[in-house]
Amino acid sequence: MELQTFNTLWLIPLFPLLGAAYAGLLGKRIHRRYGELAVSLPTVIMPWISFAVAVSAVVTLAQAGPEVALYNRLWTWIGVDWMQADMAFLVDRLSAVMILVVTFVGSLIHVYSLGYMKGDPGYWRFFAYLNLFMFSMLVLVLGDNFLLMFVGWEGVGLCSYLLISYYYRERDKAAAGMKAFIVNRVGDFGFTLGVFLLFWGLAAANSPSYNPSIQATTAAPVVKRASAKPDPAKLAEHVAFQASWGLAGAPCRSHQALGRASTLGGHAQGHHVEGHATTSLAFRHVERLLEDPVKREGLLSQNVLGLSLVTLVGLLLFLGATGKSAQIPLYVWLPDAMAGPTPVSALIHAATMVTAGVYMLSRLHFLMALTPVAMTVVATVGALTAFFAATIGLFQYDIKKVLAYSTVSQLGFMFVAVGSGAFWVAIFHLMTHAFFKACLFLGSGSVIMGCHHEQDMRLMGGLRKLMPVTAITYFISSAAIAGFPLFSGFFSKDEILWKAFDTGNVILPGGGFVLWLLAAVAALMTSFYMFRSYYMTFSGEYRGGHAHEAHGHDEAHGAHGHLPRESPKTMTIVLGILAALALAGGYVGLPHLWHLPNLFEHWLAPVFEGSAHTLKWAGYGHGLEWGLMITSILIAFAGFFAARWLYRDHRNPTPQKILDSDRRLVRGVHRWVFNKYYVDELYQKTVIQPTLVLSRALSIFDTGFIDAIVNLVGLIGRLFSMLQGWIDRTFIDGLVNLVGDTVMNAGRALRRVQTGRLQAYVYSLVAGSLLMVVAAWLMAA
Amino acid sequence: MAGTTESLARFAPELVLSATILAILIVDLIARLQPKRPSLLSGVALVGLSAMAGALWLTPTGDTSLFTHLLAFDGLARYFKGFFILAAALGVLFGHLSDEISRSRLGEYYIQLLCLTLGLSLLASAQNLLMLYLALELVSLPSYVLSGFRWWDRRASEAALKYVVFGGAASGVMLYGFSLIYGITGTLQIDGVAAALTAAATGGQGIAGQLGLLMAVMLSLAGFGYKVAAVPFHMWCPDVYEGAPTTFVAFLSVAPKAAGFAALIRFFVVGFGQPAPGAAGFPWAEILGIIAIGTMTLGNVVAVTQDNVKRLLAYSSIAQAGYLIMALAVGTDEAIRAVMLYLGFYLLMNMGAFFGVQLAGGERLSAFRGMASRNATLAITMAIFLFSLTGIPPFAGFIGKFYLFAAVLSVGEPFFYALAIIGVLNSAISLYYYAKVVRVMFLDKAEEGDGVVEVSRPASALLLALAGPTLLFGVWWAPLADLIDKASSILR
Repeated sequence: MELQTFNTLWLIPLFPLLGAAYAGLLGKRIHRRYGELAVSLPTVIMPWISFAVAVSAVVTLAQAGPEVALYNRLWTWIGVDWMQADMAFLVDRLSAVMILVVTFVGSLIHVYSLGYMKGDPGYWRFFAYLNLFMFSMLVLVLGDNFLLMFVGWEGVGLCSYLLISYYYRERDKAAAGMKAFIVNRVGDFGFTLGVFLLFWGLAAANSPSYNPSIQATTAAPVVKRASAKPDPAKLAEHVAFQASWGLAGAPCRSHQALGRASTLGGHAQGHHVEGHATTSLAFRHVERLLEDPVKREGLLSQNVLGLSLVTLVGLLLFLGATGKSAQIPLYVWLPDAMAGPTPVSALIHAATMVTAGVYMLSRLHFLMALTPVAMTVVATVGALTAFFAATIGLFQYDIKKVLAYSTVSQLGFMFVAVGSGAFWVAIFHLMTHAFFKACLFLGSGSVIMGCHHEQDMRLMGGLRKLMPVTAITYFISSAAIAGFPLFSGFFSKDEILWKAFDTGNVILPGGGFVLWLLAAVAALMTSFYMFRSYYMTFSGEYRGGHAHEAHGHDEAHGAHGHLPRESPKTMTIVLGILAALALAGGYVGLPHLWHLPNLFEHWLAPVFEGSAHTLKWAGYGHGLEWGLMITSILIAFAGFFAARWLYRDHRNPTPQKILDSDRRLVRGVHRWVFNKYYVDELYQKTVIQPTLVLSRALSIFDTGFIDAIVNLVGLIGRLFSMLQGWIDRTFIDGLVNLVGDTVMNAGRALRRVQTGRLQAYVYSLVAGSLLMVVAAWLMAA
Repeated sequence: MAGTTESLARFAPELVLSATILAILIVDLIARLQPKRPSLLSGVALVGLSAMAGALWLTPTGDTSLFTHLLAFDGLARYFKGFFILAAALGVLFGHLSDEISRSRLGEYYIQLLCLTLGLSLLASAQNLLMLYLALELVSLPSYVLSGFRWWDRRASEAALKYVVFGGAASGVMLYGFSLIYGITGTLQIDGVAAALTAAATGGQGIAGQLGLLMAVMLSLAGFGYKVAAVPFHMWCPDVYEGAPTTFVAFLSVAPKAAGFAALIRFFVVGFGQPAPGAAGFPWAEILGIIAIGTMTLGNVVAVTQDNVKRLLAYSSIAQAGYLIMALAVGTDEAIRAVMLYLGFYLLMNMGAFFGVQLAGGERLSAFRGMASRNATLAITMAIFLFSLTGIPPFAGFIGKFYLFAAVLSVGEPFFYALAIIGVLNSAISLYYYAKVVRVMFLDKAEEGDGVVEVSRPASALLLALAGPTLLFGVWWAPLADLIDKASSILR
């Protein structure tokens, strides 16, 4: 990878940070004095400026050639021996996709929030958090090393917590925020452990003592690279890198020299940015290190607790990803996270933050590709999550809950792609998903606002006539997520299914077929529940208003007499833009079968080049691929027609009949699935209650037993301390006071030397000089 | 070596400064009756200093020596010139805001201050012993005058008199040392001295020749030691700091000290080979190390008993010089960069602390009682400066000290380990008296008669402008460190 300095990258996260500071520090006062717009307009403009900078960066990147990445080093952040982490931002082709998605979708959602949050008392707080989130997310995707990524990773977690419990006065919403935070801590624990372990392993693999013949063997790859790609800049970088790791020449010497040169955060002038980097926590350096066969073997041969270290690292990092990206077993927080305002659900819990795990594993593709076990786990967990979340989604009535489970399920699809080794496909689906899922969430927000904060789909219906723009955009996005041909979701999801089928990187019985089967069934259910939600919400007659009493949902709203109305322009325009992208966003990644260029794969290929040779594919023919594609089209339409038949216009009695059925099996299954397989209850019983019981037990133990001992010890202690006190007062205090007094007395004594008499001063000057001459002479002799 | 024309082009900053001095003189005479005269004078001084900074920025950068080897024009000199411009600008601003300098004599004050700055700039670049001596005198004379600026004040006139006599004696001793050097080596050029010394060391002149050399160097050291206020040449320092106007002490405690260090670096590193340890067979490192130990220990221990904040800061500045000499004893490039970095931070925190004393309206410790409730800005910024001087993170002083100690430890010899340990113990002692001031400001209650301390808006802004970077450099020091990395070239 060649680095090109691009000195404005830091502006991308800076602007939202400024916005957050503005709204967070001054917002309350400005809101009171100048009204809402004075708070929100600057904060809405900031992400757009970031977007503009991001576009300029990506344009530069696109013109610079495939092997180039933009780099912006601000300062040395932590520099302890070879553990160097810089405050540095990197835009390669992967992060380019991410920053575009984050800034663009994020900016749109900011605009949407103008309308959605109107009149909210915590207006300034909302926009401050939202901007802070943008900042953290951009640091996450722009960070060039693990530590900086972790800063962003924790930052988005914090913002997520703040925004889920945004309505903190309501107890369950505050609890949802806490749940998200705590569940994420479990994941973060895995993430940090993974990073620590990786660096422990790298340090061992990298130590000169690892292989005595290290100098002889490392010379070879340098030469090989040089002959394969005679690019002087790259070679120079490589050599400098080797030197900085103490590989070339005398290992310790050169390392120390570099260390010393950089002690003052130093940079020799005119050097290429990379020439003196010792940043070993940077992703690209780890990747380069692992390209060296000796180092790779050094890492791969290490075992921890009987497990291969690399596998353990992969699994721990994936544990981090399951937390942030809501996969089994840590998905439980995401449905509850819907307690936050809907734009937050769209931005954080659908389009951006929850995809951080996918991004992180794709970023570390070179590492994941080394460990088939971890890849298998990732793919399997992804497929199972996709499947189970989809089944839960079938029976939900809360429109946001449907979308939440759908998000969990779609994230599962992305992990299937990651685990199959199709990293670009994961990112592709991440992008298309950001478009259509953001549109769906914002559409649901529009609906919820129209229906006076009603989220139950049974109390909606008929909104197509009342909210036409929302209805159309919702339909388009549903078609996209369901995988209707030529919609964006079709291309990405079909590619995932095909790659899952074709993968040779998982060690499952039956290979990729199992993955494909689970994912395909999940896709069928996706299509069904999405259109179920569409028809329940938008077709037939409006069932809100008077129906409230009938269902016992008595809300003191007072606005029930009004029919829902279309949302304001700021919201519908955003919906329109996102729907257009949901429709057309997939054309950048057309399937190979159609013999049309796949721009997206081509764009990302240089990023994933390093792991491409390690990955294996079963190599099924085109015929099968066509077959699978047709199957997935059939699946999409099957789900659509089933939902249409059952839920259109609220006329078909079958769903109600099933619900009213007396068959125990039907009721049991329904209740089981409807209650989300009782996973929350399971966690409550197995994790939370034991924890509470343990803490209570410890508390009893503490008060009953420990305290008694403590009191006894205390009594003995008091006796001792009386003795001790006497010793203390007499001897220790004496000693301490002696030290203090000595300093004081010395001060007083020396102070007396300063008599104020000039003669004495000059004598001391001359005498001091002569004394020094004598001292020097004695020392020289 | 640059010819006269090139030399003049590179001498532009000093020329601009001289022109500024003349301009202030003329404006002072012309605008004698103008009511806005103080602002006008300060404006001229600041514009002149900005122009000097501009000239410094625009001069060609290649290292060379000027005026037939009298002055060096290298990274070290440029860094310190920039340093002095900043210090002088702060000195002008402090003077403008000071009550001690009567408005009618402001022009006079500025003229002396800028003459001093000119001397500093020459001192930091002098390459010839005679030039070095002249520059030192050019620094000293305005210092005497400014110390006794309030001549009707008994303390001030006493301080000035002591300063003159002590300074005269010190420069006499130094001059004697220089004359010995000239006698032994036959040259006044510092680099020539180096060559002659090497020849003497390899020529086997025996201990007799070396004793002469020892005397020469040790006596020369008196002059530098006096400028940086190192033990045993520090005696003038507390008395002068106490007697001189606070606003001048802020400048005096920073800029001449920095110039002394610049000259010391040049004298030892260029004249006696680098790294200093073992050069020409003499234990320079040990001698400097012992001076460092004496300086920081005496400064800190005596500071503990002070209850006059100005005097306390005087001893503190002696102690600070001790830390710097400690790094200088190491003499490596790394150590010299650390010294430069620390001086950069020292400029901010020490001038800030003295400015705080100037604004507090009293120099006894009791004048700071309950400052937190009397003027929060002053109390908080003062606490920042003092903690930074102690070397506590996250303030700039910590980073500075970190680099100083790192440079000392990286030598890896028992003597330097001992030096570093003594330095750390000294830092611990220093916490006592710095924190004492903070305690008085924040924990003691204001008593009857301690009214609100009025601080004008510009003064508050200036306080914050000094405290901000002190904090910022504590977490983000890379820019200054980068600058010093580029600017630490020394013409040998």
